[in-house]
Amino acid sequence: MNLFFCFIGVLIGTLVGVLPGLGPVAAMSLLLPTTFHVSPVSAIIMLAGIYYGAMYGGSTTSILVNIPGEAASVVTCLDGYQMARKGRAGPALGISAFGSFIGGTLSIIGLMFMAPPLAEMALQFGPPEYFSLMLLGLIILTFLASGSMPKALMMAAFGLFLGLIGMDIMTATPRFTFNLYFLMDGVGLVPVVMGLFGVSEVLLNVEARIKQDIFETKIKGLLPNLKDWRDSAWPIIRGSVIGFFLGILPGGGAVISSFVSYGVEKKCSRHPEKFGTGAIEGVAGPETANNAATGGAFIPLLTLGIPANAVMAMLLGALIIYGMQPGPMLIKQHPDLFWGAVTSMYIGNGMLLVLNLPLIGIWVKILKIPYPVLFPLILLFCLIGVFSLNNNVGEIGLMLFFGGVGYLMKKFNYEAAPLVLALVLGPMMENALRQSLIMSNGSMGIFFTRPISLGIALVVLALLILPLLPWVKKKREVIAEMVEDE
Amino acid sequence: MKNNDQRSSLFWLAIGLAIALYSVKYGLGKFSSPGPGFVPFLSGLALAGLALVVFLQQLSKGSREKLKDLWVQKNWPSIMMVMAALVLYTLLFRFLGFLLATFLLTAFLLRVMEPLSWKKVLAGAIGAAIGSYAIFQLWLEAQLPAGFLGF
Repeated sequence: MNLFFCFIGVLIGTLVGVLPGLGPVAAMSLLLPTTFHVSPVSAIIMLAGIYYGAMYGGSTTSILVNIPGEAASVVTCLDGYQMARKGRAGPALGISAFGSFIGGTLSIIGLMFMAPPLAEMALQFGPPEYFSLMLLGLIILTFLASGSMPKALMMAAFGLFLGLIGMDIMTATPRFTFNLYFLMDGVGLVPVVMGLFGVSEVLLNVEARIKQDIFETKIKGLLPNLKDWRDSAWPIIRGSVIGFFLGILPGGGAVISSFVSYGVEKKCSRHPEKFGTGAIEGVAGPETANNAATGGAFIPLLTLGIPANAVMAMLLGALIIYGMQPGPMLIKQHPDLFWGAVTSMYIGNGMLLVLNLPLIGIWVKILKIPYPVLFPLILLFCLIGVFSLNNNVGEIGLMLFFGGVGYLMKKFNYEAAPLVLALVLGPMMENALRQSLIMSNGSMGIFFTRPISLGIALVVLALLILPLLPWVKKKREVIAEMVEDE
Repeated sequence: MKNNDQRSSLFWLAIGLAIALYSVKYGLGKFSSPGPGFVPFLSGLALAGLALVVFLQQLSKGSREKLKDLWVQKNWPSIMMVMAALVLYTLLFRFLGFLLATFLLTAFLLRVMEPLSWKKVLAGAIGAAIGSYAIFQLWLEAQLPAGFLGF
C-alpha cells in the first residue's frame, strides 16, 4: 500500500516539477488534504515523493523548453537547453536523471547514518538552543532570499504573528481571533499555503495570459555516452556532497545547492568558457545537487523537529496535524515513520529513474494542455481540497484571502517562503522563548551563556551583519539576477 | 511617493504598529514571565521597524516607478472575475450543494481566459464536477454538502 503512495507521490512530483508555475510546495499543499484520509506514514511517503520527484521533473522543462519547472532547475536551463539546441537533449535528460538518482540515493544513505546519532545529540538541546536554532533557520532563509533581506524578514515577522493567532497555549487567552470561531485553533497551515502558493500562482498566470511554446524535438539516444559519463563523474560526486550538506542547513535547500554546484563546477572545470554553451557538467552537477539536498533537508526535520526550508515546514505542519511530535524523540517513538520514509525514498528514487526516461514524451504532451483549461482544474482542486480538511467553508475563504495576499506579495516582490517557515515555527519559537525567559528569570543572557546557543547566536548575528558588507552584497545581487531571469 | 517598495512598506508599517498596539491589550507581562501579548508585540514591532528600514532605504537609492506599472499589459479584469467567482462559490457552496456549485464555477472559469465553445465548456464542467465528486467523495470519503436541490 505504501508502495502505491510512493508511486503516486513521485508521479505527481515529477508532473508538478514539469509544469511551470506549480512548485513542490504548491503540490504538497494541494495534496495535503487528501493525505489526512490515510495513515501518517503513507502520507509522509507520498509527500516526500512529491518533493524529490519535483526535482527530477523540473529539469525536463528546463532542458526542453528553457523554462525551469521550478526554482531548483533554473541553473539547468543554462547548459541543458543549449545541449538540447545542439540535438543533445537526450544525453542531457539522461545524465540529469542519473545524476538525480545518484544524488538522491547518496543523500538518503547520509540521512540514514547521520540522523539517529544527531537525534541523540539533540537531546541536549534545551529551550534556548531551540529558540536560537529556529531563529537561525529563519535568518538563513531570509539571507538566501533573492530579494531584499529586510523585506524577507518582514514576511518572517508577519508569519510569526500569524502563527500566534488563536488560543495561547500557556494562558488560554484567545489572541487576534476577533470572534471568528474558525480562528480559535489558529490560522491553518494548509489554507495559507494553498492560497499563497497555489491560488496566487494561478491568478498571476491567468493575468499574464501564459502561453506555452514548445518546440518539437525528436528525442533519440537518451543514454549519455561514455565521454559524457567521464565528464560528469566528478560533478556528480561534488554535487552530491554539496547538495547534502547545504540541504541540512536550515534555510539552505535545493535551490542554493544547484547554484553553488554550478559555480563550483565552473571553477573546477578546465574549460570554464564552455559553460553556458552546453557543457554537460553544468547539468550533471546542479541536478545531482538539488536532489541530494532533499535527503539532507530531512535531517533537521527528523532529528530536531526543525524544518530546513518551506517544504520541510509543510511536512512539519503535516506531522503535527497527524499528532506526531517532531523532535529528537521522533525516531525513538515512531521508528516506523523514520525507516518507512527512508526506505520509501530509496524506492522512490529508483521509481523516478525508471519513470523519467520513458515518460518524457507524456510530460511534453501534458505541457501542451492549454492553460485556460488547466487552471480551473487546479483551482477546483484547491477549493475542494481545503474544504475537505475540516468541512469548513471558512477555510476556503481563508485560502482565497491568502491567495489575494500572495498575489499582491508577488507583485510587490515579497517572498512567501519566510512567511510560511515563520508560520510553522511561530508557536514553537514562542514557547521556546517563553520557557527560556522563565528559566533565566527574565534575563536575555541565557541565550548567550549556554555554549551551543551562543554559537548559534553568533552565526545569526554574522548573517544579519554580512549583507551590509559590499562584496557580499554583490554576490547576492548576482544570484538575484540569475533567479530573476527565469 | 517614489516607488512601490515605499508604498508597500508604509502599508506594512501600519500593520506592524497595529499588531504591536493591539498586543498590549493581551498583556505583555514581565521579562521573567512573558504574557500572551509579549511575542506578538515583538513581531509587530519588528515588522514595523523593518518596514521603516525599507522605506528609508528607498529614499536614497530607490528607482522611480508608478503604481500602475505593476498592472501594465496584464489581463487584470480576468483576475477580478476569477476572484469574484471564487468568492461567490465559497458563499453559495453550502446552499447550492457541491455538484451544482462546482459545475457552475468550472463552466464560468473555462470561459475566462479564452472563449471555448459551449459544447466543450459544458463537457468540461460536467466532467470536472463528476470527476471531483468521484475523487473526493467516493475515494477519499470527504463529506461534501448537498444543496437545496437535494444533491
